[in-house]
Amino acid sequence: MPNDKNSQKIVDIIKNAARKHSLFVLAYGTGCGAIEIPPTMTSRYDAERFGIRGMATPRQADVLLVTGYLATKTLKRVIRAYEQMQDPKYVIGFGSCTINGGMYWDSYNTIKLLDKYIPVDVYINGCMPRPEAVITGFIELQKLIAEGKADGATKYKENLDWYRANQKKVIKNWNMPDYNW
Amino acid sequence: MMREKATTLYLGPQHPGITGNMMIKLKVEGDTVVKAQTHVGYLHRGFEKLMERRNWLQSFTIVCRICVPEPDPNELNYSRAVEEIEGREVPERAEWIRTLMMELSRLASYLLWFGGQNGSAGLYTMPQWSVGDRDYILDLFEELTGGRVYHMYIWPGGVRRDLPNGFADRVLQTMDYLEKRLKQYDQLMFENTIFQRRAQGIGWIDPAKAVEWGVVGPPLRAAGFKSDVRIDDPYLIYDQLDFEVPTQQGSDVWARALVRRTEFQQSINMVRQIIDKMPGGPVYNKIPNPMKWTIPAGDAYVKAESARGEFGYYVVSDGSNKPRRVHVKGPAYVHGVTLLENILEGANISDVSFIMNSLGTCPPEIER
Amino acid sequence: MTENSLDKEQQIVNHLVGTFQNLTGKVKRNRRIEVSIEKKQITSVLNYVKDHLGFIHFSHMSCVDWLEDGYFELVYILWSPEQKIQLLVKALVDRENASVENADMIWRQLNTYQREIREMFGVNFIGMKGDKEFILEDWDNMPPMRRDFNTVDYIQEVYFERPGREDAQNVRETISKRTGEEIPEVATKYSRD
Repeated sequence: MPNDKNSQKIVDIIKNAARKHSLFVLAYGTGCGAIEIPPTMTSRYDAERFGIRGMATPRQADVLLVTGYLATKTLKRVIRAYEQMQDPKYVIGFGSCTINGGMYWDSYNTIKLLDKYIPVDVYINGCMPRPEAVITGFIELQKLIAEGKADGATKYKENLDWYRANQKKVIKNWNMPDYNW
Repeated sequence: MMREKATTLYLGPQHPGITGNMMIKLKVEGDTVVKAQTHVGYLHRGFEKLMERRNWLQSFTIVCRICVPEPDPNELNYSRAVEEIEGREVPERAEWIRTLMMELSRLASYLLWFGGQNGSAGLYTMPQWSVGDRDYILDLFEELTGGRVYHMYIWPGGVRRDLPNGFADRVLQTMDYLEKRLKQYDQLMFENTIFQRRAQGIGWIDPAKAVEWGVVGPPLRAAGFKSDVRIDDPYLIYDQLDFEVPTQQGSDVWARALVRRTEFQQSINMVRQIIDKMPGGPVYNKIPNPMKWTIPAGDAYVKAESARGEFGYYVVSDGSNKPRRVHVKGPAYVHGVTLLENILEGANISDVSFIMNSLGTCPPEIER
Repeated sequence: MTENSLDKEQQIVNHLVGTFQNLTGKVKRNRRIEVSIEKKQITSVLNYVKDHLGFIHFSHMSCVDWLEDGYFELVYILWSPEQKIQLLVKALVDRENASVENADMIWRQLNTYQREIREMFGVNFIGMKGDKEFILEDWDNMPPMRRDFNTVDYIQEVYFERPGREDAQNVRETISKRTGEEIPEVATKYSRD
């Protein structure tokens, strides 16, 4: 029976409400921004009241938090971790280095636009963002989930060839497994 | 009986137990590590090439991001090297404020270390306490410089601005609070039999070879050598402060933890002395037009004592308005690669992360 | 500062100048001395100062690229814990086919420093064992820290750039139109666009 709020079915509303209140973040500190994640999880800013907590392996995590710049060596491992995560999955780009390269715009080893290699749902800007800004980013992601618009994972599956072409341009020795789901 | 073959394990870049983003390739037989090899390069940004394209004042703004947990020794070393090549004098009040920043940064780094060392042993209450207490020191930094983690406050010629009103009182209140908390950390961590039994006898460094292998900082003091850059090669105003350098004889993880705990208490005393004795005066010696500021040709090597060991900077100038070569050497360069590969032979798998935390390996300063 | 404060440093410099040929040295300041040698004397000088003069702690090794003059300058930085003096040993190496003898049997940690200089500058250390790749992965261009490697050309070829907005305006002109102030001359002179 369609509901009059954005024509979502009642099942979708319950499903999205359950998903948005339990976001498990993969424990991977890819760059400088990883130093502001432990203060967000301690008692002063307390991210756990929103349902956000850390998780050890990609198979059990929902959110990949790319904290800052990515060297090409790390990009290969991030792609592998992203493809091992299971649906529904979301990516948050943290810091201004994921938006346009930041202060490393003329470095020969870091990538400049994260959106061309893996799909990003929410950006948090700053260098570095305060813990309150991190929590605001997660609340933004929760809003997108409730409306049904956080669909980075389906975008990746549909445009896999385009993403692969961009990734192979930067990573020269491609010895990764095939993505088949 | 069949002989066991060695398995290769990748303690890889994505792991909740390692300090940062690096990989250790372990060869294990059963539960014991037979050979270890460190792989770095996951955080390389090419800082030294970036600095060749920016002029002297623009380079000072990016230098603090080289070492993520403790950015202040970087700014201090860069400024001191530039001042030494140019021959620029720094006002006295600026030296006292710089010392205050270095000691507060040392306290913040030790609190983060308390969290990391215990988190890898399974005592998860300690990170929640100490990383939460570190926020009080980050509040002080934010009031003084405007940023919690990256300050960009110490520049060639002095510091950027003077202390605000009432800042000294807030610093003393925070020091009283941390001293009370240190007693609670003692009860939880240092008088805990489980931690003592886990930490004694693990990760032993041979004292006869420690200096030759290039060990610096708390691991060297835990091996019995009274060696600290603040008394060997004095800089700033450490010769006017009253402090002692602790040493231990055990040279294992437990001895290093005791050395750091004693230094924590000494740093609190030093901050109180600095607030007490600080003189008045200007806080910076103005530099000329930054677009045209040139430094005469020459080179300098300066050192500072950070919470993990000796931090060195080698700066070369060729007379133009951009640096020729800035080469950064962090303490983890030796501790994280050759020393770690040596100590891990014969260790148990569950102690690998424990030993890494006690040496203070921090990958961003190995590969900049 | 006492009168004879640079005596200890001067003694060490004189001793080294007297022991080796083609060695020049000077005292830079309190606790810093430097000597310049030829590249074939590197291992003998390092062995001598380690065994006989007390410089047992190895602090740092660096390399500077003097492209205009055609050579690399290798700098070895040592520290003596007894006398608290820092010694900088400098040697010049030709840029074309740069090769130096390996010194990591004297101090083990030199292996790490030498691997990085081999990867970043292309200096060959004869007889050194160790993986070719230390920091970079699958790098097929010239060694990146050399002065003739142009980073801006490289990134425009390999990486994407974020395009500007279609309605992008010059910030200073917009603000000066709104408030009626003049743009000062120093802003336009040193501005990049």
